[in-house]
Amino acid sequence: MKNKRFAIVLDTRRCIDCKACTVACKAENDVPLGSENYRNWVGEEKLRGQYPNLGQSFTPCQCQHCGNPPCAHVCPTKATEVNQDGIVHVVADKCIGCKYCMTACPYNARYYNEEIEAVDKCTFCTHRVYAGREPACVETCPTKVRVFGDLNDPSSEVSKLLTKYPSRVLKESQGTKPYLIYII
Amino acid sequence: MTLLKHRPSFKLWVGVLAIGVVVGIVGTGNVLLNGHSAVYNVTREIPWGILIATYVFLVVSSTGLCLVSSLGHVFGIEKFDFIGKRAIILAILTLLCGFGAIGMELTHPIRMGLYTIISPNFSSPIWWMGTLYGLYLVLLCAELFFLMKGMHKGAFAMGMIGFIAAITAHSNLGAVFGLLEARPYWHGSFLPIYFIVSALVSGGAIVSMIVYFNHKTTGEPMPQKYEDFMGTLGKLQALFLLILVFFVVWKIIPGLYGHPPEKYEATVAVLSGPLAFNFWFFEVLLGLAIPVILLLNKKTRTPYGVMMAGLSSTVGIFFMRYDLVIAGQLVSMREGTADLVGGLLQYSPSVTEIAIVIGAISTCLLLYTIAERLLPLESDH
Amino acid sequence: MARLIDKKLSRRRFLGTSSCALAVATVGSQTTVLKALASSGKVTTSKGAGTKDVFTACGMCVNKCGVIARVRDGRIHKLDPNPEFIKSRGMLCARGNAGVKVIYDADRLKYPLIRVGKRGEGKWRRASWDEALDLVAKNMNEIAEKYTRAGVMFASTEGTFQEHFFLQMAECFGSPNTVRHPTLCLSSNIQGFGATYGTNPTPDVLNADYIIMAGANRSEALITPDSIDQLKGDGGRRKLIYLDPRFTKTAAKADEWYPIKPGTDLAFILAMINVIISEGRYAKEFVEEMTVGFDKLVPHVKPYTPEWAAKETEIPAEDIRRIAREFAAAAPKAIYYQGRRSSFFTNDTQLRRAMAILNAIIGNWDTEGGMVPNSKIKLVKHDYLAPWYDDVPERIDKGSAAFLSEKDGSWINLRNRVLEAKPYPVKGMMIYKQNVVMSVPNRAKTLKMMDQMDFICTIDIVMSDTAWYSDVVLPEATYLERQDPLESLSGILPVVAFRQPCVEPLFESKPNLWIMQNLAKRLGSEVAETFDFTMDEHIHHQVSKNPQILKDLKSKGVHYMKVLPTYGLTKGKRLKTKTGKIEIYSANYAKKGLDPLPTYTKHEDVPANKFRLLVGRSAIFTHGTTANNAYLHDIMPENTLWLNTLSAKKMGLRDGQRVKVKSRVGEGTLKLEVTEKIRPDCVYMAHGFGVISKGQSLIFDRGACDAALIEDKVEPISGNAAMHQTFVEVSPA
Ligand SMILES: Nc1nc2c(c(=O)[nH]1)N[C@H]1C(S)=C(S)[C@@H](COP(=O)(O)OP(=O)(O)OC[C@H]3O[C@@H](n4cnc5c(=O)[nH]c(N)nc54)[C@H](O)[C@@H]3O)O[C@H]1N2
Ligand SMILES: Nc1nc2c(c(=O)[nH]1)N[C@H]1C(S)=C(S)[C@@H](COP(=O)(O)OP(=O)(O)OC[C@H]3O[C@@H](n4cnc5c(=O)[nH]c(N)nc54)[C@H](O)[C@@H]3O)O[C@H]1N2
Ligand code: SF4
Ligand code: SF4
Ligand code: SF4
Ligand code: SF4
Ligand code: SF4
Ligand SMILES: [Mo]
Repeated sequence: MKNKRFAIVLDTRRCIDCKACTVACKAENDVPLGSENYRNWVGEEKLRGQYPNLGQSFTPCQCQHCGNPPCAHVCPTKATEVNQDGIVHVVADKCIGCKYCMTACPYNARYYNEEIEAVDKCTFCTHRVYAGREPACVETCPTKVRVFGDLNDPSSEVSKLLTKYPSRVLKESQGTKPYLIYII
Repeated sequence: MTLLKHRPSFKLWVGVLAIGVVVGIVGTGNVLLNGHSAVYNVTREIPWGILIATYVFLVVSSTGLCLVSSLGHVFGIEKFDFIGKRAIILAILTLLCGFGAIGMELTHPIRMGLYTIISPNFSSPIWWMGTLYGLYLVLLCAELFFLMKGMHKGAFAMGMIGFIAAITAHSNLGAVFGLLEARPYWHGSFLPIYFIVSALVSGGAIVSMIVYFNHKTTGEPMPQKYEDFMGTLGKLQALFLLILVFFVVWKIIPGLYGHPPEKYEATVAVLSGPLAFNFWFFEVLLGLAIPVILLLNKKTRTPYGVMMAGLSSTVGIFFMRYDLVIAGQLVSMREGTADLVGGLLQYSPSVTEIAIVIGAISTCLLLYTIAERLLPLESDH
Repeated sequence: MARLIDKKLSRRRFLGTSSCALAVATVGSQTTVLKALASSGKVTTSKGAGTKDVFTACGMCVNKCGVIARVRDGRIHKLDPNPEFIKSRGMLCARGNAGVKVIYDADRLKYPLIRVGKRGEGKWRRASWDEALDLVAKNMNEIAEKYTRAGVMFASTEGTFQEHFFLQMAECFGSPNTVRHPTLCLSSNIQGFGATYGTNPTPDVLNADYIIMAGANRSEALITPDSIDQLKGDGGRRKLIYLDPRFTKTAAKADEWYPIKPGTDLAFILAMINVIISEGRYAKEFVEEMTVGFDKLVPHVKPYTPEWAAKETEIPAEDIRRIAREFAAAAPKAIYYQGRRSSFFTNDTQLRRAMAILNAIIGNWDTEGGMVPNSKIKLVKHDYLAPWYDDVPERIDKGSAAFLSEKDGSWINLRNRVLEAKPYPVKGMMIYKQNVVMSVPNRAKTLKMMDQMDFICTIDIVMSDTAWYSDVVLPEATYLERQDPLESLSGILPVVAFRQPCVEPLFESKPNLWIMQNLAKRLGSEVAETFDFTMDEHIHHQVSKNPQILKDLKSKGVHYMKVLPTYGLTKGKRLKTKTGKIEIYSANYAKKGLDPLPTYTKHEDVPANKFRLLVGRSAIFTHGTTANNAYLHDIMPENTLWLNTLSAKKMGLRDGQRVKVKSRVGEGTLKLEVTEKIRPDCVYMAHGFGVISKGQSLIFDRGACDAALIEDKVEPISGNAAMHQTFVEVSPA
């Protein structure tokens, strides 16, 4: 889509690590069964402290739809494409399965999909988004950790959240310019 | 030659290689029938396994052979002239078998042919790698053609371009790894240079074996010319190896100093972690220490000793490739990954992966053995 | 609910494709799906059928969240949350999303099966419905003849919206012996709160400022809307105090977590009451006006000081005191959250009574952010005239607990009596949507009880351990394939939900009403007559007083009356207790010889070299029967035994090694998970693994079964199981 810059803003304080997002994504996007096959996941961060003073946070994660995506730079056949709205996706027919993008992605966002015989990853549910719906993981999340929207639109919920709260991105030093933005 | 064909050691050699090829075919069949994920141990976290390492090993060998042979007909070091055809043939074969190995890792080698042409991505080191090695292969074939026809000018020209292509392609292979910012163990300008140096070691080592065994099979004593050659090669090899030692040390120190994130964990994995045996036994002992000792010692720098040094370092270098490819991926790229052992991801090649490696190397050697028998490779000097 | 995008879309499509009274026109042939599933266990898409969105309700757990099933080419592609479904706040959890793998599961029951080998051996023969139902009816009649009609027991659990047809069958067949899940679940809760308020109210989690949650793990044991509301991001205004021997996901979200010594919650509450009363922090006017027996409570809690409680609970006295003060200060927007499952210890009813009393004295009754009595939307009941039989004895477990629900019974007490054949033998078992082998503590005893049965019939959707141990297994259509009656879900914001068939039932599975009707026919005309209606008629009868309900359901998948809570409806009215007030002191209990005020009793301490086995939910599984779901299996393929790092070190046990766990009643082997997340004197394992049934191909032979280890202790007031009083030994396997 033109003139849009899609992003997901996450409030991880609300994440209860329920994995609804993971299952929703698998079902929505026909991700093959298997514990290695998933487009999103919930990182259980290391337990802080020692019994009985413990703390733990959960970080839901998926492809960051990087503004500067190394996966796309390294793909020999341009099978990894970037849409005008910033959504990074793989054209399955062009993918030669070299897995270079998998070694290039600093977030481990990609997996090899044996069923479509190509590397696969989160597409921000383009098929839903372009039809005016929300990504499956966003819609299903019980505690509404995730908010999806257009950062070019200052009145969108994502834009508002980012003006209201400080935020961070993962592995900023990699220079990937991620568009999964975490509220702190 | 007829005599040779019937020698038991030769039969054994061909027999073993034939079995190796069959093993490779079975492995390949297994992949084609059951699919990658069922028979390979590569994972989403460690997508590149032993097949990529083998590919690197084989194309490094190819480059090395090309570089060493060019000492003769490109740089005019006469002593090296006579190995020209053999080295080039083997350079072609190792390259092809390397392509075979990576082809088994790729899931769509055919698509690759199509889309690298109609949808090229010039920012992709792998695109350049494919293109440059393709070009390099063509040049090697041309060079061989001219050598076989005895057309020295052509051979020289092809050799010259081939040399440049080899250096470019090969440093680019280093860049395939070195440009990955996500993988601190690989990232940087180190690998392209390191790859060239190690290619020289690989090439020299393989040449020493070719020369030695070719004479061995004739059953005749080695002529002085060859003995001299082996001596020179041994000295040269010692130099290459020492430079390589220097590189290995300088790979490790920045990996440890100041605990650079991820790079440190990977370096420790190599030094004292899951890859430590590979590193200390194969890379250091077989790959570097034994050959250096054999080659620096005048007493052991005999043709036999030089060959042994070559054999030893070739085995070591295989593990260098393997460890390099795997170590770069052992550190998980995110927190909370399950099933870490000692904080690291795990990979060990599957039976099928190993079978394909055996197949690739055996095919290469068998084809070379056949070429050796069928083609007039003796130098016309 | 702001998420309107979906609503508009789905409403249009929904109305566009459904014309007739209820059932959405079924599209597409299922033969391709069926053949593919039968031959390979995988499902392919059948060609040429339409696409539609169907409103329905999730059937994966008690919550019944609103679902929009996206049906493509005759196959359910995805289950999406219904944004209009206010109870679930427009969400679906992992299990809800995994529902597609329930219907398209190679392991699902496909045809009626009749056992051919020995019981539990797993040898079956496919039978026609006629043959299977003939056999069931024949056995029921034979047992009735031989042992009276009470000789057939009926075990069932809520959830399908069709359980009442099964209970109707029990009643019309003439057996008093129905046994339902509550005494494995929340009966002591209902009892304790009921005895105090005359009802079991709902905590207004959304609006509370201060929540103490103890023994209820809302981030994993999902209850809508509480699980969602507890995380309302409100800039830290809300405080959550969490008491649990385990560091659960709720603990990770709580402001304070206390690994309370299991079984001592009552001490914590009594000490809180002590502080609140002695410091005069209770709601004086409210207590005077709305409660009875406060005067007796004052001296009663005197000895229960925070210092005393600190020794029992291992929570520092100053924390107890501070929490009590903060709690009272936040009143009435403060709740001591009572949880749901209360099958913990043998004093559970008194514990829940204490919770009710603590809430009462701060005056949070029926106010915003407090304990709000449930409202419910009325549906017209289906009436029938059950046949009368002479000489049918009373419930076999009658009198086994102080208060026994007539329909629910007490599972463990009932099982004991059946095993003793006292006062009469029970020789037949009809089971509907209950996995008794996995759900009732002490599996060996359940199996023993089943062994002595002449006949067992299970109606399920998968080969559960219970089905595996049956003689006839009948496949019910799954919740996505059935038209279910309307169900009224009570709460602060009550709703009516329903289910529509998203696709036609696969294979030969049938809805329960059909099964009951066809069984009834075989049991005689008197029984059959009570089932003489169609589902359509039944539903129209349910809404005969308010047809709008059905219209709403068809147009938006849910019916509700209000989207904002109303408080204070009970103001000035009598409560449903004897005195009409909140009974702090229960004269009713006194009359029965029970403690009229909750008195602390000490439970047995963990013996040396043993551990207390804890039970608790995982967010991705429902009880004992979803671990075999392919999507969920991907996330957790087996269960592990949690053991504290210190304890593991002391015993020289390593993370990941296999260990044997042994209790007085059983044992199991599983992988060890060494973790900081549990008290050093406790161990924990997820429920649902270590199955007997080979019909659960993904998890057979994986992990261990907690039900095999848990001893069958019973809470005497409600008859509820006490599941946390089992000690186990752990050793390397
Ligand atoms: N995902 C999911 N959600 C569910 C269900 C499901 O199966 N899966 N089932 C539903 C049903 S039927 C029910 S009844 C509810 C149950 O909901 P909950 O009542 O919240 O049930 P449990 O997970 O059993 O929570 C019990 C918690 O108490 C802790 N505990 C154990 N002993 C003690 C003790 O002595 N004191 C204290 N303070 N804590 C203790 C346990 O460690 C455990 O974390 O969940 C419902 N929601
Ligand atoms: N060890 C241990 N035991 C427990 C608990 C615990 O935490 N630990 N929790 C207790 C609690 S709170 C509860 S509520 C009970 C619940 O225990 P149960 O009432 O036994 O519930 P489930 O284990 O969910 O089993 C439900 C059965 O119904 C089947 N089923 C599912 N859908 C359908 C359907 O549409 N039609 C039919 N006919 N069958 C269907 C499932 O396959 C499964 O066999 O367990 C209790 N027992
Ligand atoms: S669905 Fe939401 S709450 Fe659940 S794990 Fe995913 S992000 Fe966290
Ligand atoms: S997260 Fe990884 S896959 Fe996604 S755009 Fe960035 S580099 Fe590419
Ligand atoms: S695996 Fe496919 S998408 Fe990834 S780099 Fe190679 S061709 Fe591109
Ligand atoms: S946006 Fe869609 S594709 Fe991406 S993780 Fe969420 S559900 Fe999966
Ligand atoms: S909480 Fe989950 S499993 Fe339960 S009804 Fe809702 S979506 Fe279904
Ligand atoms: Mo329950």
